Amino acid sequence: MDVIEISNLYFRYSKREEYLLKGLSLRVRKGELLAITGESGCGKSTLLSIICGIIPHIRKGEIEGEVKLFGREVRDMAIRDISKEVGIVFQDPDSQIFLPTVEDEIAFGPENLMVPREEIGLRIERALKAVNMEEYRLENPNNLSGGQKQLIAIASVLAMETDILLLDEVMSQIDEDGKDKIKRTILNLHREGKTMVIVDHDIDNLSLADRVLELKSGMLREFKGW
Amino acid sequence: MTREHNLDPRTKLVIVLCLSTLGIAVNNLALLSAIALLSYVAASLFRANLKRTFRKIKSLIYMLLFIALVQSIFTRGEPLLSAGGFAILTVNGVERALQFILRMAIVIFSATIIGTSSSRSIIQGLVQWKLPYDIAFMAALGIRFLPMLREEIRDSLVAIQLRGIDIKNIPIKERISLYSYLFNPLLVGTLLKAERLSIAMEMRGFRAYDKRTSYLVLKFTKLDYLIMFFSIAITAVFLIISYM
Amino acid sequence: MHYIEIRDVDFEYEKGKSVFQNLSLNIDKNETIALMGPNGSGKTTLGKLMAGILKPTKGQVNVFSRDTRGIPLHEIGLRIGYLFQNPEKQFFANTVYDELGFVMKIKGYDEEYIKEKVEEKLELFQLKGLVNHSPFLLSQGEKQRLAIAAVLMNEPEYLILDEPTTGLDKKRKDMLLNLLFMLKNQGIGMTIISHDRRFVERICSRFIYISRGEIQYDERA
Repeated sequence: MDVIEISNLYFRYSKREEYLLKGLSLRVRKGELLAITGESGCGKSTLLSIICGIIPHIRKGEIEGEVKLFGREVRDMAIRDISKEVGIVFQDPDSQIFLPTVEDEIAFGPENLMVPREEIGLRIERALKAVNMEEYRLENPNNLSGGQKQLIAIASVLAMETDILLLDEVMSQIDEDGKDKIKRTILNLHREGKTMVIVDHDIDNLSLADRVLELKSGMLREFKGW
Repeated sequence: MTREHNLDPRTKLVIVLCLSTLGIAVNNLALLSAIALLSYVAASLFRANLKRTFRKIKSLIYMLLFIALVQSIFTRGEPLLSAGGFAILTVNGVERALQFILRMAIVIFSATIIGTSSSRSIIQGLVQWKLPYDIAFMAALGIRFLPMLREEIRDSLVAIQLRGIDIKNIPIKERISLYSYLFNPLLVGTLLKAERLSIAMEMRGFRAYDKRTSYLVLKFTKLDYLIMFFSIAITAVFLIISYM
Repeated sequence: MHYIEIRDVDFEYEKGKSVFQNLSLNIDKNETIALMGPNGSGKTTLGKLMAGILKPTKGQVNVFSRDTRGIPLHEIGLRIGYLFQNPEKQFFANTVYDELGFVMKIKGYDEEYIKEKVEEKLELFQLKGLVNHSPFLLSQGEKQRLAIAAVLMNEPEYLILDEPTTGLDKKRKDMLLNLLFMLKNQGIGMTIISHDRRFVERICSRFIYISRGEIQYDERA
């Protein structure tokens, strides 16, 4: 089944003349690991923002076309409902992590969704296990390396237990060691059946994916740059 | 889930409120000095990092002294120091200045007491006291990001000097534009980070509902009740003495 | 005499957390150096010691034969250009033009002269179309170019770049490389701190690998 369905998407930011996305279409199947690449500024991050509803609910822009999650139009859903189905992790860990311990950070999402305490406890354990950071549960995220912080950012989003996970250039600011750990986590999640869309401009990070698409001139096409 | 043997943050809040109330309501210099001393002792007992706090507010201290001086100069009363028939310092003036300094000391020491609890537990304390959770979170975010500001100011100063600007020898005319240049990266950096963080928080369900559950639950212990009782009692005593 | 000399340097950020002990290193201006190593290895700290941003706890760091403890930072900045990993840390103005020209403006240079110099850099770094844009709202690649252009306004003879390839795609990395080659040909020495092996291999002549505060190897190509 198609978890994400985009048809004929046109998008431009409010003050610009040119359209960034021009008639873009995309179908993502359940359990798929899709990678999207392209030059900086081509619109990959914007596309992810549209999929998870940041555009148009939080950021503004002119958007036309269909964007559906599990068959429902994203523009008709509230963020609180979207956040139960799609999770997104961004590039800069310092703009995602803000609480004093790892445990606090991971609990934050489920707490917002009024998940009962015992369930939150279980989710924290599962999330830490998924990113292999169980021993850092009570650690202050500020004391962690960049790669570890990103793993905590991922764990915090995993705790939302969404079916879909979007990763927006999550390895851009991370060193080799950190990248390896993140890639391993992504593969594990894929094995567990999570649907994921990874955006990255670095080709080396794309080989994990089932399918790789390139965003060029506002549309997606098969990536042939190997 | 409980945190270890640290006092409930609400207890610390009560202590801070008591000290601040005394700081504002009491005018007698002797009493104020006693309260300031009490605040210092309390802060040390909580093992607040006083050394680090002093370092952080070193520059602030000069400004406070300046304000104290201005207050003392502009207060009328019995002259202590005059020049040409004009009273520069008066008894009342000096009294005002000392009151101000002591009050600031009390505020600063009590603030460090709050810093000994994690921001998450402070939020939880406020929420369990029925403060709307979004306000509590804003307060805690401020607490978390403010210390970073100091480091960013330092980085900004270093970076601007590396561009070739001798900050010690700038003509007065250019000094104002220098400050605005220095604050630009701080302002923009903070705004951008705040925006990105708020989006990340919203995508993790922040403010999805009017209420939220909490993994962390605070429970008062006997020690908490004891300390709160004594704080309020001592505060009452000081207030009574002060008004006699 | 070497251009930069690090002599028996100890450095610690806080008491007890030592980053380096007895580190010694000599750097010549005509070498293009790659400083590599994992996060936490100390390579950024070393870069900052070299630029005089940090002073050693023990030992000495000499740049152009003078102890960094005795040279004011602004004087070092005129000869050694330092590029922070996050270019935003060194943007101060509201427009690209002002970013390039404000230092000279503060120093009282003639406006015509400033205009000339700024336009030179705008041309060289392909920033002409962005003249009135805010430095903070540029793309990563544009910020990179602006940061380098701004540092080069002082015509330094040496550059230290901290992770310059962060966030750049292949095309922009190639552009950066071309830029660095151009500067190298003008006689500007440089140290590139980077974990991107493939990038530094294309331009550097000496590779220093640091791990846990120690130089693991130091090879010339």
